[in-house]
Amino acid sequence: MSIEIIIYSLIIGAVGGGCIAAGAARMFHAPEIQAMGAFRTLGELNACAGDPVAHFGFGLGFFFNAAASAVAAGAMSGDVFHRIIPNWSAGILLLRNKKVDETLYNPGKMFLTGAGVGAVVVTVLNTAASMIPEKLAMIAGNVLTPAANWLLNPVMPGIFWLAAMDAGKTTGLWGTILGGVSALVSGNAVPGIVLGILIGKSAEENGYKSSIVQILIAIVVIMFVAIAYFRGFFNQFGF
Amino acid sequence: MKNTFTEKLNKFLLKDETFILLIMGAAAAIFAGTFMYIKFGTGAFNDVSIVAMLKEGIDGGSYSAAAGFAAGFLIARILEGPLVGILDIGGSLMTGVGIGIPALLLSMNITLPFNNFLFALIAGALIGLVLGLIIIAIRKFVPKGVAVGGTSIMMGAGNSAGRYLGPLIIIAATQYNVYAGLGALIGSAIFYKLEKEITGGAIIGAMILGAIFL
Repeated sequence: MSIEIIIYSLIIGAVGGGCIAAGAARMFHAPEIQAMGAFRTLGELNACAGDPVAHFGFGLGFFFNAAASAVAAGAMSGDVFHRIIPNWSAGILLLRNKKVDETLYNPGKMFLTGAGVGAVVVTVLNTAASMIPEKLAMIAGNVLTPAANWLLNPVMPGIFWLAAMDAGKTTGLWGTILGGVSALVSGNAVPGIVLGILIGKSAEENGYKSSIVQILIAIVVIMFVAIAYFRGFFNQFGF
Repeated sequence: MKNTFTEKLNKFLLKDETFILLIMGAAAAIFAGTFMYIKFGTGAFNDVSIVAMLKEGIDGGSYSAAAGFAAGFLIARILEGPLVGILDIGGSLMTGVGIGIPALLLSMNITLPFNNFLFALIAGALIGLVLGLIIIAIRKFVPKGVAVGGTSIMMGAGNSAGRYLGPLIIIAATQYNVYAGLGALIGSAIFYKLEKEITGGAIIGAMILGAIFL
C-alpha cells in the first residue's frame, strides 16, 4: 500500500463520485436535460423512497460485495458508481433534510456529497478492502447479487414490456419486436423495449412520413446491427 | 454564503450543456481507474468477468474479446443515451471507456495514456469530451418532442421496477440460507410496520442474523 495509491484514489473518487452523483440527480429532471446513470439506478433510488436507512443499507450491501471483488481480482465492480455512491450520497443528504426535491433531486448538493463519498469509498476499496470481514461480503454477495440480477433480467424486461403494450398498439408492436431483437443480440430486452416505446410514440404522434421517425428507425437499425456484429451474433447461424 | 454557492452550483449543473463536463469527469475517473488496475492491480471500475477480458490482453493474450465486447456496448449506449435522456454509465463509460478503449489502444501499442496518472486523467477527460459532444449533438439534431410521450412511460416502468427489489432480496435470502432468510423477513416486517422501505430492512436483517449464525 503506497501513498501513490491513496492520492490517486482520492482524486479519482472525488472527480468521478461528484460527476456520477450529479448525473444521477439529473435523472430526476430527464428528459428535459441529459442525465447519466441507468434506469435501474433510478428505480432503486426510488425504491428507497427517501428513507436514509434504506439508502445506506442498500449501498452497504453492495459495498461489501465490491470489497470482496476488489480483494479477489482488483475489480471494484460496477456497483461503486451505479449504486454505492448515489445511494450513500442520497442517504447522507436525507439525514438532514427529508425532502427529496431539495436533496436527491438537487445536482449541486449531490455533486458535493458524491465527491466526498467517492473519495472515501474508492480509497478504502483500493487500500483497505481486505479488512472487510469475508463473511459479511459472502452474505451480501449471495443475497444481493441474485436479487439484483433478477431485477435486471427478467423483472425489468417484463415490466417495461407490459408498459409498452399498455401504451397502445403501435408502441406495443415496436416494443415487442425491438425487445425481442434486443434480447437475442444483447441478452437483455430492456434497451430494445425502451427504443421501441420511443419509436412507437413518435410514430403515433407524427406518422411514419416524418423525418424524426425515419431518423430514429435508421439509428436503431444501425445500432442493433453494430451490436450484433461486435458480439458475434451472426456467427450463431452457422453459415 | 455557502447557500448561495450551492444554489449557483445547482443551477449550473441543471443546464443541459453541463452534461459534457459531468461525462468528462466520470470518464476521466473511470479511465484512470483502469490505469490504476494496470499499474497497481487494483482499482478497475467494472465487474470481475469483464475486467478479466482486459487482463487476458495485458497478460499477453488477445485484446480482441475486450475491444469487441465493449465497442458494441459503447456504440449502442451512446446512441441510446440522448434518445431516452439517460446515458447508461455501465455500458458506455465503465465498459466502453474503462475496458474497450484501453483494450483498443493497447492492442495498437498506444501506451502513452497509461504512462502516468496525469496522462490517464487527461486521456479519459478527452474521451469524455468527444462522447459528450456526440451525445449533445444527437440531442440537438433529433427534433424536440420525440421523447416526451415515451419517456414518461419509461420513467413509470423504471419506478415500478425498483419496487420489486425488496421482495426479490427476501426471496434471494431465503434461497441462500435459513438464517439470512429469517433475518431478511424479520427485518422487512419491522421496516414495513414502521413505514420504512422494506429493502433496507431486508438487507440489514439478513446481514445481522447471517453474521451471528453463519
